[in-house]
Amino acid sequence: MQGRLSAWLAKHKLAHRPLGFDYQGTETLQIKSEDWASIAVALYVYGFNYLRSQCAYDVAPGGLLASVYHLTKIEDNADQPEEVCIKVFVPREDPRIPSVLRIWKGANFQERESYDMLGIFYESHPRLKRILMPESWIGWPLRKDYIAPDFYEIQDSH
Amino acid sequence: MAKRSIGMVLASKVLGSGREVENSIKPTINPIEFDRTTSNSVISTTLNDLSNWARLSSLWPLLYGTSCCFIEFASLIGSRFDFDRYGLVPRSSPRQADLIITAGTVTMKMAPSLVRLYEQMPEPKYVIAMGACTITGGMFSTDSYSTVRGVDKLIPVDVYLPGCPPKPEAIIDAIIKLREKVARELYEDRVEPKQVKRYFTRKHRLHVGPSIHTEKDEQKFFHQSSESQFQSALEIPSETSESTSEILFSKIENTRVRYLIGE
Repeated sequence: MQGRLSAWLAKHKLAHRPLGFDYQGTETLQIKSEDWASIAVALYVYGFNYLRSQCAYDVAPGGLLASVYHLTKIEDNADQPEEVCIKVFVPREDPRIPSVLRIWKGANFQERESYDMLGIFYESHPRLKRILMPESWIGWPLRKDYIAPDFYEIQDSH
Repeated sequence: MAKRSIGMVLASKVLGSGREVENSIKPTINPIEFDRTTSNSVISTTLNDLSNWARLSSLWPLLYGTSCCFIEFASLIGSRFDFDRYGLVPRSSPRQADLIITAGTVTMKMAPSLVRLYEQMPEPKYVIAMGACTITGGMFSTDSYSTVRGVDKLIPVDVYLPGCPPKPEAIIDAIIKLREKVARELYEDRVEPKQVKRYFTRKHRLHVGPSIHTEKDEQKFFHQSSESQFQSALEIPSETSESTSEILFSKIENTRVRYLIGE
């Protein structure tokens, strides 16, 4: 099963880049932000009807931001369902990724968290606002170049 | 209750609870406090003790918990570590509580709510800072960008209870220490409720306006249908403005009803 999804995507001429397999054997693909909206629909049609998790991370200080989607197939009497991991890399200055909320509803709060922590703006998300930090917070806390402001509450207690 | 015992009591208040107090009185510790004429009469001290006993036997804690420490606090409500035997009845409203056990991490988002809860509690009120997070920030004190390092930056604390989380037996120990602290209180030291500045309230009039729904899909559909209704309503010859608005409202209600039915 060397890159089954990669072969399927290549057959249908959908641009992607295979990134190998992780330690559990899950196939990892990289998809460009512009193509992500259409390829997400293609993956739903292929059969991935469950977004297991959506997370995001900062690749390198001054580098790219990554948004990671773990997809799997939910079916009755499943035995070893297929899984895939999709990474979308975006530049730090203008991080915009199309939202997959219309396809997998579970992405709602998870995209809000990625927006809150890293500043990745998900287009066509109906209510993209901060979910963990207070509404009036400035800055993206989980970026590697984030410096926490010197509030009285955060200073060390004596 | 001689003067000597009151002196020992004051010395222990200065040194802090839980530490062994030496038997000798040190009059130079706090001369101002020592000069104060505390009453020696049996009746007033007995009344003082009576009121203290009444308050310490029924400390009603606020049912407050943010994170993991609340699990330990909640286990106190159960039958194994019963805290009803100390007179503690958990209250849901801060107006009826006189003890708040801050169980759980307090972040900067939660801080204004906690201060508001504390301010809504009536005097005399007590605070037990439970768990490492509320004492100094705990495990979040090194790197967190939003955890408040210690709840005593927000509200005054009476008893600090270390642990992560503290065992229910440790919470009971903190309650016992708080009871001992309440027993030592003097009537002259009580905080008198001050008249807060009152503001005149204005008449509240209901203004009918557009709703603040952020669901854009629903609004788009609603506006589309209502816009068409507006145009048709404007064409109707109207005698007065009131009748037009009535017609508009009835048409809007009709469209809304149709939308709910799912036509």
